[in-house]
Amino acid sequence: MVTREGILWLALVLPFFGSLGASFLPVKARNSAAMLAGLIALAALALIVSLYPAVADGAVVKSRVEWLPSLGLNLLLRLDGMSWLFALMILGIGLLVVLYARYYMSPNDPVPRFFSFLLAFMGSMLGLVVSGNLVQLAFFWELTSLFSFLLIGYWHHNESARSSARMALIVTAAGGLCLLLGILLIGKIVGSYDLDIVLAAAEGIKTSRYYVPALILILLGAFTKSAQFPFHFWLPHAMAAPTPVSAYLHSATMVKAGIFVLIRFWPVLAGTELWYLIVGTVGLITFVIGAWAAVFQQDLKSLLAYSTISHLGIITLLLGLGTPLGLVAAVFHTVNHATFKASLFMAAGIIDHETGTRDLRRLSGLFRYMPYTGTLAMVAAAAMAGVPLLNGFLSKEMFLAEALEFRDGSLLDTLLPFVATAALALSVLYSLRFIHQAFFGAPATDLPKQPHEAPFWMRLPIEVLVLICLVVGVVPAYTIGPVLDAAVRAVLHENTPYYSLATWHGFTRPLLLSLLALAGGTVAYLLLRTKLNSAGGAPVIRYFKGRRMFETVLASVIGASRRLEEMVGTRRLQSQLRILVAIAAFAALLPFIPAGYAIGSERITPVQPGFAAIWVVGALCAIGSAWQAKYHRLAALILMAGAGLVCCLSFVWLSAPDLALTQLLVETVTTVLLLLGLRWMPKREPQQWRRGRAPRSVLFRRGTDLALAIAAGAGMALLSFAMMTFPIGHTISRYLVEHAYAEAGGRNVVNVILVDFRAFDTFGEITVLAIVGLTVYALLRRFRPARESVRTPEQQRIQNAFDDSRSERDRGDTLTDYLLVPRVVMEWLFPAFVAFSLYLLIRGHDLPGGGFAAGITMAIALVLQYMAAGTRSVEERLRVKPLSWMGAGLLLTLFTGLGATLFDSPFLTTWFRYADVPLIGKVPLASALLFDLGVFLLVIGATALVLIAIAHQSIRTPLRRRDMELISRSEGEV
Amino acid sequence: MEVVLALGIGVLTASGVWLILRPRTFQLVLGLSLLSYAVNLFIYAMGRLRVDAPPIVGADGTVDPAALTDPLPQALVLTAIVISFAMTALLLVVILASRGLTGTDHVDGDDE
Amino acid sequence: MMNGWASHLIVAPVLLPLLASATMLLLNERQHRTKNAIAMVTVLALLAVAISLIVETIDLGFSGGSTTRVYLVGDWTAPFGIVLVADWLSTLMLLLTSILGVAALIYSHARWDRAGPRFQTLLLLQLMGLNGAFLTGDLFNLFVFFEILLAASYGLLLHGSGAQRVKAGLHYVAINVATSLLFLIGVALIYGVAGTLNMADLATIIPGTSGAELTLLQSGFAVLGIAFLIKAGMWPVGFWLPRTYAAAVPPSAALFAILSKVGVYALLRVYLLLFGGDWGWTGNFGEEWLLYGGIATIIYGTVGILAARTLSRVAGYCVIISSGTLLGAIGAGEGAVIGGVLFYLVSSTLGISAFYLLLELVERRGSEASVRAVVEPVFEDEYTGARSLAGEDEVGVVIPASIAILGGGFVFCALLLAGLPPLSGFIAKFALIQGLLDLRDGIAPAIWVLVAMLIVSGMATLIATTRAGIDLIWTPSERQPPPLRLAEAFPVGLLLLVCLGLMVFAGPVMLYMDRAGSSIQDRQGYITSVLGAERASKEERGPRER
Repeated sequence: MVTREGILWLALVLPFFGSLGASFLPVKARNSAAMLAGLIALAALALIVSLYPAVADGAVVKSRVEWLPSLGLNLLLRLDGMSWLFALMILGIGLLVVLYARYYMSPNDPVPRFFSFLLAFMGSMLGLVVSGNLVQLAFFWELTSLFSFLLIGYWHHNESARSSARMALIVTAAGGLCLLLGILLIGKIVGSYDLDIVLAAAEGIKTSRYYVPALILILLGAFTKSAQFPFHFWLPHAMAAPTPVSAYLHSATMVKAGIFVLIRFWPVLAGTELWYLIVGTVGLITFVIGAWAAVFQQDLKSLLAYSTISHLGIITLLLGLGTPLGLVAAVFHTVNHATFKASLFMAAGIIDHETGTRDLRRLSGLFRYMPYTGTLAMVAAAAMAGVPLLNGFLSKEMFLAEALEFRDGSLLDTLLPFVATAALALSVLYSLRFIHQAFFGAPATDLPKQPHEAPFWMRLPIEVLVLICLVVGVVPAYTIGPVLDAAVRAVLHENTPYYSLATWHGFTRPLLLSLLALAGGTVAYLLLRTKLNSAGGAPVIRYFKGRRMFETVLASVIGASRRLEEMVGTRRLQSQLRILVAIAAFAALLPFIPAGYAIGSERITPVQPGFAAIWVVGALCAIGSAWQAKYHRLAALILMAGAGLVCCLSFVWLSAPDLALTQLLVETVTTVLLLLGLRWMPKREPQQWRRGRAPRSVLFRRGTDLALAIAAGAGMALLSFAMMTFPIGHTISRYLVEHAYAEAGGRNVVNVILVDFRAFDTFGEITVLAIVGLTVYALLRRFRPARESVRTPEQQRIQNAFDDSRSERDRGDTLTDYLLVPRVVMEWLFPAFVAFSLYLLIRGHDLPGGGFAAGITMAIALVLQYMAAGTRSVEERLRVKPLSWMGAGLLLTLFTGLGATLFDSPFLTTWFRYADVPLIGKVPLASALLFDLGVFLLVIGATALVLIAIAHQSIRTPLRRRDMELISRSEGEV
Repeated sequence: MEVVLALGIGVLTASGVWLILRPRTFQLVLGLSLLSYAVNLFIYAMGRLRVDAPPIVGADGTVDPAALTDPLPQALVLTAIVISFAMTALLLVVILASRGLTGTDHVDGDDE
Repeated sequence: MMNGWASHLIVAPVLLPLLASATMLLLNERQHRTKNAIAMVTVLALLAVAISLIVETIDLGFSGGSTTRVYLVGDWTAPFGIVLVADWLSTLMLLLTSILGVAALIYSHARWDRAGPRFQTLLLLQLMGLNGAFLTGDLFNLFVFFEILLAASYGLLLHGSGAQRVKAGLHYVAINVATSLLFLIGVALIYGVAGTLNMADLATIIPGTSGAELTLLQSGFAVLGIAFLIKAGMWPVGFWLPRTYAAAVPPSAALFAILSKVGVYALLRVYLLLFGGDWGWTGNFGEEWLLYGGIATIIYGTVGILAARTLSRVAGYCVIISSGTLLGAIGAGEGAVIGGVLFYLVSSTLGISAFYLLLELVERRGSEASVRAVVEPVFEDEYTGARSLAGEDEVGVVIPASIAILGGGFVFCALLLAGLPPLSGFIAKFALIQGLLDLRDGIAPAIWVLVAMLIVSGMATLIATTRAGIDLIWTPSERQPPPLRLAEAFPVGLLLLVCLGLMVFAGPVMLYMDRAGSSIQDRQGYITSVLGAERASKEERGPRER
């Protein structure tokens, strides 16, 4: 025994599974795909139909699954009369469309994909109408937009399909986002997204201060989807889709989603002045414009598209009136329109299919070729025109009655009947034109194909729909009556009005008006038919080209943002750094604005003249290097080194021997590096400005930079000074000092911190070194010096010339002799360096030194060899495998740290004891020492790698033109 | 002393900032190095200044935290020194590569 | 509180990648099969570790215990040593990182790991840096791990060399070196006032500070904040981001997707912990700046994404938009929104990562191969045989119907980034807006703007992606679509699948996110568990003999 909830769920998921299945079918499997789709639609339809008893008596089938309870978003299926009616349309027409599409689609198209999308759309649409949770509704709403996009773009090989699909997606998805926002507001007002709760809270919503934004947002959603003015323009272009899609999405279902939402929210939003004003007006305008435009179309499908817009306008207008009867009429007309419009689209599709054209001017006298289709089309068109004994007539009657009934004295109200009649006359006109132009008159001569009747299975869907039109038109009370009643009751509950579904109400004013419309339309057609064929688009609104506007707007938005991006963004490094410095300075300043700048109470240590003196030098060096860096790189470099040296000295002075030592070593290596780098820098002559001096813009930029620099400097100075004047309060280093020796067994607290307390930092720091080493290695492997910087330096050239001139010497000898002494010295020094670095390594734990310092020293020793003996010879003599050293170093530190875990202590927990070693004396055998050894290895590896890699470049050949081109091409200039 | 050091930091920072705002890659490198000097001193200064009080415990292991300067900032500076050294090296190499590939030493890789 | 190997799980995400990459350093490039194996095993192990950690979190969390697990590196108690902290947020980020790691590594096998030496090593080190940054509970240690992940990202960005990358790299390195200096200044100021670096310790000390010292402290945090914001790519300090990411090879870019989120993470962590809760946060120190900055960033991202001419730029601006959204939402200061923020963070990171992997397949130029010229060796252990990619292009299973798969993947990515259903992007955006719209005491204009920008930026993303996607995928071209390899399709599929999971299991996921959100605002809980953590060895350690 399956529960009703179960049936509902099954009906919802079936289409999606079908879609998934169809997407896996082979590309050419047209029949199996169609079969699958048909069966799915049929099954779902049967399931929904079987639920009718459940909703007939105003009851509701609800089933809820927790999805995102914390935010009130749950999967809540809710089937009442209204959603049942829509579900019926979606699945019923869906089934017919599938059948039709089977014969319409060409076997060369990837038909399974088509059916896959179609089924997915069907499912989304179904999900939309049975949503009991508003967010879920928005969810499925966006899905319908998505699949309509895919379906419109199905023939994406032609341009119009692509652009139309995109336009439809953007318009409807934007509307969807608005809808979501509106729904969120509603949810916030009510405190829940559950439809029932929301419906119950109608008053609260209408009186809320957020009613207006919520209303507008939701209407935006509905109007975009239902192609209401001014968002109607996407619909005619959506006709680029295969005709089955137009018949399904753009007449029967998707465009009705907006209507559905209006109906759903009708109880909570409608009835206010604003609602009447917006919805009523928009509906009326759409109604008229649609009808007017439809009259002048030459393309069958666009004629139908505009008439669809116009009919959607009627429905919106009816809902806008805000009266119960209006709602009834709206729902009724929705159903009727779906039936006759779908059949008309299918008929148009057949004509297109059989004759190869949709141009009304070329079509003529088809009736003799396709009598069945002709008859069917005629009946459907008559329904559209509102001829008695057809369903269209009934809803039109209701509409006119409503138009006449309603009284509030406003301009809109007084105009309504006349405008309505006129517009209806127009719809008669275009219906007539459609039929007469296509099927009557002399047989067409210049058709691409020789027309003949469509196959039975292709006509069947139309026959079914037209039959419905007839039956409903003749005996409404026994056919649509109960269904309509159930639907309307589901929305209006107790205040459902009295209305009679009958073909004959006697001679009423509505009847009069509709007859007037019929007559007027016919007369107009007889007068204008020839003119209309020569008309190039609708007068007046021809100039309102929605699509072009859309494109223009989009284009200008994009153009504007391109210009804007240039303005608010930059790609220049200088500007970015400028902003960075400025922002940082500002941020640092911010807290001082309210608080003001104050210094602490701590007494200031008296200035020692020596210290001041070295800093005078240091400052001069810094400024000098800033001054010289552009044209005299070497000088600037030396000056910078000077500044660095002053830092070392002040570290010594201020009792930081470790810092001094490390700084000194790093200093050396950095300088060497930069020296090696200088070799590849282009020669720079002082810039020649026109009119002798730099232009004002440049001077201004320099001025601002200078100001910025001074500001930053002042800021740092003030910050540091203020900090130094505050008494040092609570600090963790007290603990560190106390425990350094007792628990970590090191007397040099700084080193103990590095290898024990905060060994993890050191661990990370050497990893950074390793990574940089790797990067340098990877980068320089591709490095090719620029062409002009490769010429051998002048001095060398002179020497070579000298060598060449002497027969007994060969090239490079002078250079070798030249460097003989230093080379010998260096070679002798090498072991000394090694010894010294090892010493630093061992003593590190107790006195200044440590793995890093030792490693750097070692690297320096290596580099000195390079400088003295030349790259080639060194590379021949000692085999450097820096990567392996780095790996070894990392592993050593890692395993030292991991050793602790064996004793169930955390990573990097140290262990140590002292041992007496002859000569050296008492040395700590600390695991920290092993750790330091690892650091040592890695530092050698990384530093040597960088230095050597750069030094090595000198013996490389420049990049050949060809490679240069290769590279620039290969970047693919993103 | 504090004043002198603060001024020193200030001058280093100022010249560093000036340099990193210049268009040439070499100026950039120098600027960043100068800035890193400044920042190292700055970090150090956060532990306040002490003369002749290196954070090294006496050979007998007797400890008087008050008598020693704050070792932690020194440790931080050491880490910072190493890292900034690594970064300088990397930046230099990138600059050389850029010079080799674009043919200019402008920071944007193109002379306008 | 050491109980066997399980307790070391917290440090594993940092050590495993290092162990692997150190080993790989010892292998030369001829042994790349071995190295591939090592790398793959490592990332999978990382994934396993992350999963087990997060499972542990959930168990603890729903059994009512404290989820904040502390690891005392070197067995020194906080605040004296360095602590690693695994809690709701950090374990979540670990999992996210490891997923991206797996995807990027697999993808790189298709071709990119051969565009230059040592790609996988750098990738692993990148993961190490990320994991460390997410785990550490020490401000300076955070700096160190930032440097690790930055250094690795330099390597990954420059991987494959070429003028574009080097130019972008130069900017990237320069800006980040400057940023690191800011970071140091900030940390230094904080230490100068508070005398400690441990975050929990800071959180206890800060409320006690006042007067001029507090001003200095706040100044320090402001500078630190700027450093984080630069990493997050906030306008106007994020201009470097799109160009940099666009220049990187796809797998690198896919990892970079989370790089910008590290800044956001640090902001969340540091600011909610140190200024969150009762004081500061409500006294909004820098909070409104965050909000306005976030809005400005989204606007810039929107403008940029509309202006973008190539997919890679589009993706870059998606990163900007995502950062802006996060910053704005955090700045909005609604405690309730943090859960949504985290959901959005995860979802958008995955989406962007997938997008980066995909867009290269969509707009493939396939000429990387020609870059590599044979070069004489610099070092012994360098392999310089010409391993031209052209020869190896055929490796890997080539899957049919590539265009359809590309199209599908692309559509999903676009929807994900634009915040449309059916993927998690929709839920994320919904959760954010839902959290932001708090009608109880009216909606501030700034919040309205923020919400509007969320919608607008979504639309802009949709416009941009459809434009590019339609041109590249739907427009018929004579160019034969390149064969799609399984190694390339799988990671994209994996990431999208995770997003699908986020969508389907939105309830439980959001539950986790909310718990994470409230946990980072529960300062006291964090403080007690970190400062209360006990050493493994109770007895005083010391020299056994003198």
